[in-house]
Amino acid sequence: MSYELYELDELLEHIWTAREDGQVLLQEEILAPGGEEAAALEEGVRQGLLLLRERDLSVREAATPVPDGVPGFRVEGLMEVALSPEGERRARDIIRRHRLAELLFTEIFELDEAQVESGACNFEHLLSPKVIESVCTFLGHPRRCPHGKPIPPDECCNRFQVDIQPLVMRLCDLPLGEEGRIVFITPKHHARLDRLSALGLIPGSVIRLHQRQPSYVISIGETDMALDKEIAREIYVRKA
Amino acid sequence: MHNHHKAKEVPLKEGERVVLVGNPNVGKSAIFGLLTGSYVTVSNYPGTTVEITRGAAHLNKKRYQVIDTPGVNNLLPLSEDERVTRDILLSEDSHRIVQVIDSKNLRRGLLISLQLAEMELPFLLDLNMEDEARSRGITIDTDRLTQILGVGTVSTVATRRKGLDRLVGGLSQLRASSLRIDYGEPIESSLRQVVELLPQAYISRRALGLMLLAGDESLKGWLHQNLSAAAIEKIEAICLSLQEKFSHPLSYVITEIRLRWVDSILSQVVAAEKMERSSWGTTLGQWSTHPIWGIPFLLAILYLTYRFVGVFGAGTLVNFFEQTLFGRYVNPAAIRLVKAAIPLPFLQELLVGDYGLITMALTYAIAIVFPIVGTFFVIFGLMEDSGYLPRLAVMSNRVFKVMGLNGKAVLPMVLGLGCDTMAVLTTRILESNKERLIVILLLALGVPCSAQLGVILGMLGGVSLKATILWSFTVVAVIIAVGFLAARVLPGKGSDFILELPPLRLPQISNIVIKTAARIEWYLKEAVPLFALGTLFLFFLNWFGLLKAIEELASPVISGLLGLPTKATGAFIVGFLRRDYGAAGLYALAKQGQLDPIQVVVSLVTITLFVPCIANFFMIVKEKGLKVALAMAGFIFPFAILVGGMLNWLLRWMQVQL
Repeated sequence: MSYELYELDELLEHIWTAREDGQVLLQEEILAPGGEEAAALEEGVRQGLLLLRERDLSVREAATPVPDGVPGFRVEGLMEVALSPEGERRARDIIRRHRLAELLFTEIFELDEAQVESGACNFEHLLSPKVIESVCTFLGHPRRCPHGKPIPPDECCNRFQVDIQPLVMRLCDLPLGEEGRIVFITPKHHARLDRLSALGLIPGSVIRLHQRQPSYVISIGETDMALDKEIAREIYVRKA
Repeated sequence: MHNHHKAKEVPLKEGERVVLVGNPNVGKSAIFGLLTGSYVTVSNYPGTTVEITRGAAHLNKKRYQVIDTPGVNNLLPLSEDERVTRDILLSEDSHRIVQVIDSKNLRRGLLISLQLAEMELPFLLDLNMEDEARSRGITIDTDRLTQILGVGTVSTVATRRKGLDRLVGGLSQLRASSLRIDYGEPIESSLRQVVELLPQAYISRRALGLMLLAGDESLKGWLHQNLSAAAIEKIEAICLSLQEKFSHPLSYVITEIRLRWVDSILSQVVAAEKMERSSWGTTLGQWSTHPIWGIPFLLAILYLTYRFVGVFGAGTLVNFFEQTLFGRYVNPAAIRLVKAAIPLPFLQELLVGDYGLITMALTYAIAIVFPIVGTFFVIFGLMEDSGYLPRLAVMSNRVFKVMGLNGKAVLPMVLGLGCDTMAVLTTRILESNKERLIVILLLALGVPCSAQLGVILGMLGGVSLKATILWSFTVVAVIIAVGFLAARVLPGKGSDFILELPPLRLPQISNIVIKTAARIEWYLKEAVPLFALGTLFLFFLNWFGLLKAIEELASPVISGLLGLPTKATGAFIVGFLRRDYGAAGLYALAKQGQLDPIQVVVSLVTITLFVPCIANFFMIVKEKGLKVALAMAGFIFPFAILVGGMLNWLLRWMQVQL
């Protein structure tokens, strides 16, 4: 991917999130911290916006005066950017990739915040549609990223709407009273896996969730047992 | 090499040992009781038995030794009690095994059966709790199971003595299982290499080899005794290179393969009707762990306990025993008798004086502590047998997390309310050393045992509800604060909260009666001699005029810091031996009107935080070594007095009215 396209994707992403936050402004912290290089940035943004228009990704920049006290900078006094259908689609895909990647890193790989962010930023440019569809299915067509922002749905999610159930979910997300078959377990340490398997909790076993608070209570066969939430999050089940 | 592959019968010979093994809470101790006629504690929660118990049995006119073991879920041990069981199997004399299985949880039982089969040890399957399985629509084709495993099976309901004759009959026909699991490549070829390096042992080399492949750390000691350093190195290299071929740890891979075999056996022998699991037990069980209803449920139980132990036991019964029985009959009669029979004033004082063996030791032990302990043990037995205790763990998990523990720790802590010394042993069900240390410390520091609790509640009941709450709040706050700090100071880590919840069952009156009687007997044997010892000590101090000297010496602490009358010194001295005895001494002082409400609360908080008793101290020495025990005692006594002093100062400064 050329540097230029990469930059454009970043810009589209910012426009999307700014719009989501109810802002028409491109806040300075979105592009870079610190205001010293504001002039250079201003120039960069202006060029980016021009580029968007050149490529038919944006259609219009309406005149909206920047209100006082709002951090931001003016781009020729014209701030509001509307995306063309093509720009819209492209921005949505980037956001989708980014947020699915965030979710994957947070929930499955349990990386810390900084790693999640940098990882997701790289991933969003790399993942092919087929891969991202698999990730989406794997995560059970989630609606929200770890920060609570919506993940734009795609065809695979719409298909999934028909048979409603996500393929795989964490035990803690299983509806109360329902059964699930364990698909895999991602324990933080080995002893946990040994402990669980000694009680018969291995992939293929069918478990039922009874309660979440104050501790998780599940049953496997005729055994009821209590678990930490932390462990319930590491057991992935498919609804039986 | 033993060749059991042809499933030959191994008759049990005179004097031989039978080892009971099985998952936790399947009824091994109940079976043990049936076979030997001797009582071991039977309860409805996993982890009741943490030590092996031996007993003699006369069956079919022959004498056997029967051994009860702590429950295990896997013969790859993860905690100390599980290791005890595995080590029994590795040792020489335990070649006869009865595996007790909870019939409704056959899957978990068979995971162990397969390992026994692998060890090539002769055994018998006892499908216990057959009634519960049937009521849940589970039927087991025992003929088919016998055919697959090549060992005998019998069904029993131990708590109702059903099937005992079948079990005894089966004992004479133990067989080693003919079943062999194929672990597939590459495990099998690595296993062959390891087996070649192993010496003969009491269990099959294949089973040992699998334990080693699974990385069983607890076998290290055995390895170094039985193998050369070069062989150990080779084994380690084989394990490492095998592990590289799997993404999961080998222990898990092996367990998973076993479970697949179990599942294929299950599909041939178990027929389960789909039944709605709904009974009073299930419903009550759900309430007892409900995030909202669980709390009133707990409070209701606490209130009933208070009514029965605090009001009936510590009130009605103690009044009867102390004032009527001892006050009017026993003590006056003893005094008359002693004065008439023994002319020596020294002996008179020793027996019936202020610090007399009868008038003080026996009166405290029988009249004050015994009724309270007795009523408490009844309630406690009910809690144990109903299966409520593990549910309490569900409710309290979060609180224990603050102290670096998890809900499981509620078991030893609540058992500590019965007896702190026994509870120290129960800490073996906890997985990490750090957790065991924290719980042992908290038990020794803040959990009052039944004897002491009763005396304390009796005393506080005489002051006010406010005083009771203040005392409870202070002690709980101290426990949590010390636990919180200990969790941060002590090295090591906690463990996961994974705890089985047995079904709620209606407690059997007979078991409650036997258990309470056994515990009271134990209390009398344990406490009365120590009470006597403490009294003797006080008596001699008093006789030689040393008590006055000590009272003066201790007065800056007792009167100055704690704001108590100097007479309380005696109570604290015996408190070093048994804190319930100390509390009983304070109780007597309070009854004589020598303590004001603040003094009652301060003295009780201080004595509660003392080390429970000398037996508890020795138990800590036994479990954790002298150094740890001394360190704990060295922390606890000054700390108890410090907290008492701070409380005294605070209450007086704030001019609290109690």
